[in-house]
Amino acid sequence: MIKTIKLAFLGLISMAFVGSAYADLTFVSWGGAYTASQQKAYVDTWSKGSGVTVENYNGGLGEIKAQVEANNVTWDVVDVLPDQAITGCDEGLFLKVDQSHFINDMVVKPVSECISPQIFWSYVAFYDPAAFPGKKPKTIKDFFDVKKFPGKRGIHTWANALIEMALVADGVKPSKVYDVMSSDGGIDRAFKKLDTIKDHVVFWSAGSKPLELVSSGEVVMSLAYNGRIGAAILQEGKSFNYIWDGQVLEQEYLVVVKGTKNEAEAREFVKHASTAESLALQAKYIPYGPMRSSSIDIIKKGEPFFNTGVDVLPHMPNTPKRLRRSVIADPFWWADNGAEVSERFGVWKGN
Amino acid sequence: MSEKDSFVKFENVDKSYDGESLVVKGLNLDIPQGEFLTMLGPSGSGKTTTLMMLAGFETPTSGEIYLGGEPISSIPPYKRGIGMVFQNYALFPHMTVNENLAFPLEVRKLEKSEVDEKVHKALSMVELQDFGTRMPLQLSGGQQQRVALARALVFQPRLVLMDEPLGALDKKLREQMQYEIKHIHENIGITVVYVTHDQSEALTMSNRIAVFNDGKIQQISTPDVLYEKPDNSFVAQFIGENNQIKGKVKSMNGKNCVVETDNGDEIVSLKININSVGETSLLSLRPERVWVNVNEKNYENNFEAKVEELIYLGDHVRTRVKVCGNDQFIVKIPNSSDHSDLKEGATVKLSWKAGDTRALDFKA
Amino acid sequence: MSSETISGPILTSDGIPLKVSLRKAEKRNKIRAFLLVLPLLAFILITFIIPIGDMLSRSVDDRYINTVFPKTFEVFKKWDKQDLPPEEVYETMFFEINAAKGYKIGKSSTRMNYSKSGWKSLIKKSQRKFKRIKEGPYKEQMIEIDKRWGDPLYWKALGEMVDPTTMGYYLNAVDLKYDSNKEIIAQPENRRIYNHTWIKTFKVSLLVTLFTLMLGYPIAYLLATLPLKYSNLLMICVLLPFWTSLLVRTVAWMIILQQNGVFNNLMVIAGLIADENRWKLMYNETGTIIVMTQILLPFMVLPLYSVMKTISPSYMKAALNLGASPLHAFWKVYMPNSLPGISAGGLLVFIIAIGYFITPELVGGKDGQMIGNWIAYHLKTTLNWGLCAALGSILLAVMLVFYWVYNKIIGVENIKLG
Repeated sequence: MIKTIKLAFLGLISMAFVGSAYADLTFVSWGGAYTASQQKAYVDTWSKGSGVTVENYNGGLGEIKAQVEANNVTWDVVDVLPDQAITGCDEGLFLKVDQSHFINDMVVKPVSECISPQIFWSYVAFYDPAAFPGKKPKTIKDFFDVKKFPGKRGIHTWANALIEMALVADGVKPSKVYDVMSSDGGIDRAFKKLDTIKDHVVFWSAGSKPLELVSSGEVVMSLAYNGRIGAAILQEGKSFNYIWDGQVLEQEYLVVVKGTKNEAEAREFVKHASTAESLALQAKYIPYGPMRSSSIDIIKKGEPFFNTGVDVLPHMPNTPKRLRRSVIADPFWWADNGAEVSERFGVWKGN
Repeated sequence: MSEKDSFVKFENVDKSYDGESLVVKGLNLDIPQGEFLTMLGPSGSGKTTTLMMLAGFETPTSGEIYLGGEPISSIPPYKRGIGMVFQNYALFPHMTVNENLAFPLEVRKLEKSEVDEKVHKALSMVELQDFGTRMPLQLSGGQQQRVALARALVFQPRLVLMDEPLGALDKKLREQMQYEIKHIHENIGITVVYVTHDQSEALTMSNRIAVFNDGKIQQISTPDVLYEKPDNSFVAQFIGENNQIKGKVKSMNGKNCVVETDNGDEIVSLKININSVGETSLLSLRPERVWVNVNEKNYENNFEAKVEELIYLGDHVRTRVKVCGNDQFIVKIPNSSDHSDLKEGATVKLSWKAGDTRALDFKA
Repeated sequence: MSSETISGPILTSDGIPLKVSLRKAEKRNKIRAFLLVLPLLAFILITFIIPIGDMLSRSVDDRYINTVFPKTFEVFKKWDKQDLPPEEVYETMFFEINAAKGYKIGKSSTRMNYSKSGWKSLIKKSQRKFKRIKEGPYKEQMIEIDKRWGDPLYWKALGEMVDPTTMGYYLNAVDLKYDSNKEIIAQPENRRIYNHTWIKTFKVSLLVTLFTLMLGYPIAYLLATLPLKYSNLLMICVLLPFWTSLLVRTVAWMIILQQNGVFNNLMVIAGLIADENRWKLMYNETGTIIVMTQILLPFMVLPLYSVMKTISPSYMKAALNLGASPLHAFWKVYMPNSLPGISAGGLLVFIIAIGYFITPELVGGKDGQMIGNWIAYHLKTTLNWGLCAALGSILLAVMLVFYWVYNKIIGVENIKLG
C-alpha cells in the first residue's frame, strides 16, 4: 500500500517537472462563447510549436501585474481591452510586437505598440419586439425617452459607454462625443441625461444578465454586448431587435506578457491569430466584428458565413453604415478620466 | 390512605418513548411525607424516567401522578416547586455560587435582603459560606455537589429529587456525602426521592428502597427487609452478595420446600416465590449465613464441600467452595483460630438453616 | 538527609548544578518545540505578515515617481505656487521626460494621473512631440504642443508627489485630497463616494450579522438539541448551500427576487401587492443583504452549534426546576452560555461580510455595492494599488478596532468555535 502511494507521489512529482520543462503556451481570455470561437479560429488552426492551454479570467490587469512584479509569468498571451492595453504597455507589463503586417489594414489605428488586432464588440441597446406592439424604438434617444417608450431599462453597473450614449441621446454627434466629454460641463451634461432614466433602470453586471432581463420582461429594453444578443438570435432562435444607433464600439486585442518563458512562440501565435483569415474565421462562430478591413471582405464574399448557414454581417457592429452613428470608445480618454468618472458614477448610482 | 401516607402518588403510570415498548409499566407507588425513598436499579430499568416524570420533564403516557393530593401531569416543571439535584450538578457556569443559589429566590421575586439571608443560610448548611463569590468551576467536585444540594433546598421545596447526585465523586467523598445528605434530610425533614444504581448507597441512606427492573418495581421495602427477605431472585441478586443454587422443587410442605439440585443434593428452604412441585427454582443464600464444621443437628442443610480458593480479607476469609454442584459458592468465614487449618483443596462440612435459604423464581 | 544541610547549589548525581542541568534539558525541549512550529511560522510569515507589510508600505509609498523626476521636484519646491512655474521647472521636466527610459515614464504618468486626471495622456502625447523642440526656452514651446502645460492645476497636482511618502491614498480613501498648496480639503461633492461606501459597508455587514444571528440561532439550537438522526438531516440542509457554487446560488436569488421574479409574482397572485407596486428586492442594497445573509448563514450556525452542543441540557432543566419560566430560563441561563458562540459567529460573519465583493457586484446594482467592490475595481482596472492598499489598510484597522472593542466587552477568551 505504502509502496503504491510512494510510486504515485513520485509520478506526480515527475509530471510536474515534465510539465514545466515543456510548457504549453498559455492563452488567457474571457471564456464562454467568445473564447470558444477563439479556440476554433486560432488555437485549432495553430500547428507550430507545442500545444496551447486556454484559461479564463475576468479582465483587468491585476493578475498580470502581480505575475510580472513577482517575476513569475505563467500567462503568455492575454486578450485585453484597449485601456488595459495602453496602461499595461505603459507600465511595462506587455511586450512591444511587430505590427507591420496589419498596420495598414486596420479599421481604426492601433492604440498601442503592444497590441495585435482582434475584434470590435459593442455596447448596444436591444429589445424584444413583443414588448412594443405599436411603434418600436429606433434610436438611442428612444432608449432614453421613458415617456415615449415607458418601461424599465437594463444598464450595466459601470460608467463606460453610458456617458457616451447619454450624450448621443442628448443630441451630440457621435464623432464629437469625446470633445464634449473633455470640455467643461460635458460630463455634467451626460449625468443630467442619465438622471432622466434613473428611476427606470435595472443594473446588471454579468453579460448573460441583460438577455434574461429582457426575456423575462423585467425590463423592456437593455444595453448588452452585441455578441451576446447575436448568439441568442443566431443560436437560440430568440427574436430580439438591435438599436444600432448610438452603439459604443470597444476593441479587443491580444498582447504578449513581458517576462513570458515562451516569448518567440507567443509572438508567433499572436501573429497567427491576427491574420485576416484567422479574424474572418472567428466570425463563423461569433458575430463580433474583425478589426481588419480585409477580413470583412472575406466574410462578405463568403456569406452566408455563419456556421449555422446564415448571414453574419447583419449582426456585426462595424459595417460602414452602422459606424456612421456609432461611437468608437476612446481608451485614452478613459485611461485619463476613468477613475474620476467611475467614482462620480458610483455617487450617481447610490443617490 | 391518608394524604400524609401518599404525599407523592403514582397511579398506574405507563411511559413509552416510541409507542412500541414501555419504559415504565403500570407503576403504582406511594411516598409518605418526610420519607427518604430511593429508586434503585440497573440502567434502563425505568428509575430515572420515573424521576423525570415526577420533576415534570417527561409526561406519563397514561396514568396520573399526584403531589400532595393534586394531579400534576398538566403542571409545567417550573410551577411544581420541586427541588432537584442533577447528575452533573447543573450549576450555572456563568454565575457565582451566590447567584446560583439566589436564582430560584429571585425568580420567586423575594426581597433582596431575604434572598441574601436564605442564600447564606443554605450555604452554611453545606458549610460553604466562604465560597459564595466563587464560580462553580473553581470548586472541587464535592463542593459543587454541596452547592447543588444547597440550591435545590434554598427555596424550601416540598420535595427534593436527586438523580444519581454522587455518581461523579470518588469513593471516599461519596461515602462522606452520603452521610451528609442523610443528616440534612433528618434535620429538615423534607421528602426525598433519590435515584441510584449503587446498592450500598441505597442501603446507607434510605428509609425505603424501590428496586426497579424492566420498567417495574420488583420490591419496595426498608433496606433490612430487602436484604434479608428478597421477594425474587432479581432483588436477591441485586442487593448484597448472594449464593445462587439452581434446582427443581421436589416437594412442598407448609412454609418450607425441598429443592433437588442437578447433582442430586436435596436442600430444605423457605418457600417464597414458587408455586408447584416440579418447577425450577433459584435458591438464594447469603454467604454469611453458612457455617463451617459445626454441630449438624442445629441445621437442616449439611453438605460436604471442597475448598477451591481462599481470599484473605482481614476480618474474614472469603472462601470459594464447590458444593451441591456449584463451584462459585462463597462462604464468609470469620477470622478466628478455629479455622486456621483451612487450606485449598481441603474438604469441609458446610451447614445452613432452611430459614436462611429462600426458594425464588428462576428466569431462564 | 545530610546533604540538605550543605549550603550552595543543589547538584545532580553527576555533580552538575541542578539548575544548569534543568536548563539544558529544557533547551532541548524548546528547540524541538520551535522546530515543530517552524513550518507554520514560515507559512504565516510568507502568506500573511509579508503581504500585509507590503500592503501597508504601498499605501504610503511614493518613491517611484521621485526616482523619475528628482530634479524637477527639486526646482519645483522653490516655486511660489502662484500662476505658472518658472522656466527652470519646465526645462528640467522636459529633460527628465526625455531621459526616462522604457516603461519608467508610463508608470509615472499613471501615478500622476491619480492626482489629476489628464496627466497620462498629456505625458504620452508630449513625449512624441518633444522631439520637435530643439532648444530653450521650453515653457512656451511646451504650451504650444499641448495647452494643458499652461494649466496651473496640472502643475499644482505635482505638489503632493514630491515627498517619498504620501498620505494621498489614505485621503482619497476617505473622500479628502490635497489642494494645490498641500492643504487637506474635501473632494468635490460629485466624487465623494468612499465615505458613503464605508458607511454602507458597515451598515450592510452589521445587518447581515444581525440577520444571520436571528435566523441561525434557532437552527443551531435545533441542531444541538434534536436527536442525531434529525439533526444530521438538518445539518445537511444547513451545509448544502455551502457545497453549491456561489454564483449558482446568487443567480437563483436573482430569479426569485427580481421584480418579475417568483416571489413578486406569488405576492401579486396572492393579491398582497399590486402589480405596479412590485417590491424592489434585487439589484439594490436589500438584495445584497438578503443574498449575503443566506450565503453567510453557515458561518453563524456552525460556531453557534458547536458551542450549544457543549451546553448541557440539564442547565435548562435545572432552571425550569428552580422555578424559571421557559423564557426566563432561556434568557438568564441558556443565552449567556451560548454567548461565546454568538460572539464567535458574529465576529466571523462580520469580518467576512465587510470584505465581501462578489455578491454585492452581482446583486448590488444601484446602491448595494461595498468597499470591496472599489478595491477590486482599482486593483484590476485603474491599477491604483496605492489606493487599494489604503482602503485595505483601513479595513484591516477597522477589523482590529472591532476586535479590540470586542475583547474589552466580551473577552477574546470567550470566543469558542467548539
